[in-house]
Amino acid sequence: MKVVTGVVGNDIHVVANRLIDLSLRARGYEVYNLGVNTHLEEFFDAVVETGAEVLMISSLNGEAEGWGREVRLLKSRYKTLDDVVLMIGGNLVVGSGDPEEIVARYKNYGFDLVCHQVDLNTGLDMLQELVDQRFPA
Amino acid sequence: MSGADNRLLIDVGSTYFKLCTPDSIEQHFRDFNRDILEDLRNKCGDTLERFGKDEVYICSSANGGLSTLIIGVTQSFSLKYATNIAFNAGINIIDTILFQNIEEYSIPSDLIDVVIIVGGVDSHSGLFSPALYDYVGQLRYSNAVFVGSAQDAQQVSRNIDHLVVLPNVIDDRLHIVEEHLKDYLTNLYQQDIEGKEDIKNLYQITSNQIFSTPYIVNRALPHIESRVSVANPFILLDIGGATTDIHYSKDLVDENIVTENEYDRLVFKRLGVYKSRQSLVLAAQANEFVYELLMHLGATENIYNEDSDKATRILMQLAIFLVLYKMSPYGEAYISLKLLAINSIVLTGGITKVLTVEEIQTIIAFFYRKILSSDHNPVAVLDSNYDIWTLGTKV
Ligand code: B12
Repeated sequence: MKVVTGVVGNDIHVVANRLIDLSLRARGYEVYNLGVNTHLEEFFDAVVETGAEVLMISSLNGEAEGWGREVRLLKSRYKTLDDVVLMIGGNLVVGSGDPEEIVARYKNYGFDLVCHQVDLNTGLDMLQELVDQRFPA
Repeated sequence: MSGADNRLLIDVGSTYFKLCTPDSIEQHFRDFNRDILEDLRNKCGDTLERFGKDEVYICSSANGGLSTLIIGVTQSFSLKYATNIAFNAGINIIDTILFQNIEEYSIPSDLIDVVIIVGGVDSHSGLFSPALYDYVGQLRYSNAVFVGSAQDAQQVSRNIDHLVVLPNVIDDRLHIVEEHLKDYLTNLYQQDIEGKEDIKNLYQITSNQIFSTPYIVNRALPHIESRVSVANPFILLDIGGATTDIHYSKDLVDENIVTENEYDRLVFKRLGVYKSRQSLVLAAQANEFVYELLMHLGATENIYNEDSDKATRILMQLAIFLVLYKMSPYGEAYISLKLLAINSIVLTGGITKVLTVEEIQTIIAFFYRKILSSDHNPVAVLDSNYDIWTLGTKV
């Protein structure tokens, strides 16, 4: 299974990105890592070029909200992305917030999985579960 | 130039040709009723006679080079990579087509020299559908090349006649792989130049290979400091009669394109002061800042219809402004340059014979103040003796 990942916007926090890359590979995924400072359009374009089933976006510095709002509109311009699993994690708001409310908001933006300040392994378990459901062997 | 270096360099452009000997430079408007060689012999016969065949070096940008249409699956990867490679090989891009919307594009009426089809990493397949074959089937083209996913190559080949298949320009980390497509395009361009009757005749006066001008210029850039005093980073503008070329160093773009070349090239096809004068005027009229710029230069829009030295100068000044504008975040070029980081703007070509440094500097200052709201003011450097081109033929 292919995953495109990276850190969205002008965000340079790279540590989590490296860990995500390693952990995904350890779990047997084929990883296309776009690294830090990645624009939303590049994420979607990378999914088209690679045929990835999963798009996993990180955001750490507080920019997530702005990008999140653009997801639905941008995705609607693509003709082949309907089945992609969209996932986002990291620090999804500036400061702190009500986790349930944050999850609901990002789902509304079009994400299937939302991991606000969720530990990586927990997040990857959630992904596995969804993938097993959506793409049964 | 060293004394032992007895060479005659000739550059054939779309509007004029120039000759450069160890001690002189001459430049002449071309006479389009004559074959190039005849025209050259007529205007500079004496100069030609002083050099042996092995001492004559010729490059050409006449006819604006080859044209390409690129069909790719995304803007950020396949189209961007192929565009970058095509520009660097000296090819002009007619249009780029995003495959998913291919049915919405019109069919260009021009004969296209080469159609480039690109998309997907090698581990992906099934990126194209019959819509591609329908579209390509309606094009008039001389060559077609596929540089997308290796898994799709066979399928696409079966449906497009005489398709050349080369290794993918996108590797499995989504990075660009340039060399195969670049070599292919450079060779096509080279063959095209050599195949033109006019150019073939030039081999009567040279025994050296005739190259394309952008190739020569790009080759000179890493060595530019030996000839011209520039402060890095710089951009080089070659505002010609038909097209405008920009060469820029890689550190001026924030891009996902990582290659070994230090310099990239971009062409604005219909931006020139002679052959493309009409489209230059249209671009100027469509730009909301040009009115103010004209006032600043003490001119009015009437200048567009004038045929005078002053009109040529103003048009050249507008061309500089329009190019900078196109390269800025407000322009529609496929990349935007970090213009605030530029320290020198080098100008080469015919423009250096017409405008003074001051006339250029005033445009640069206007651009930075008005468009980028900045006092930054890169230094204009004029390559008035064609040093860069001379250097390129020698490297
Ligand atoms: C190191 C650091 C920096 C370094 C980054 C160096 C580098 N190149 O990576 C520097 C000093 C450059 C920096 C700069 C800034 N930082 Co900083 N930085 C940190 C810090 C201290 C640690 C980040 C880190 O590496 N953690 C270790 C990794 C492993 O953990 P993590 O990033 O949290 O990721 C974990 C999870 O979130 C999760 N995860 C991450 N992504 C995803 C995705 C998915 C799908 C899943 C499931 C899980 C997941 O997995 C990881 C492991 O569990 C944090 C504070 C903190 N303690 O977290 C602030 C922090 C992230 N920074 C912050 C800020 C504001 C900034 C600046 C804007 C500061 C400024 N005013 O200049 C700039 C922004 C620069 C930019 N353009 O992005 C804020 C963000 C606030 C917010 N979102 O509300 C933080 C939280 C500090 C704070 N409490 O205010 N920063």
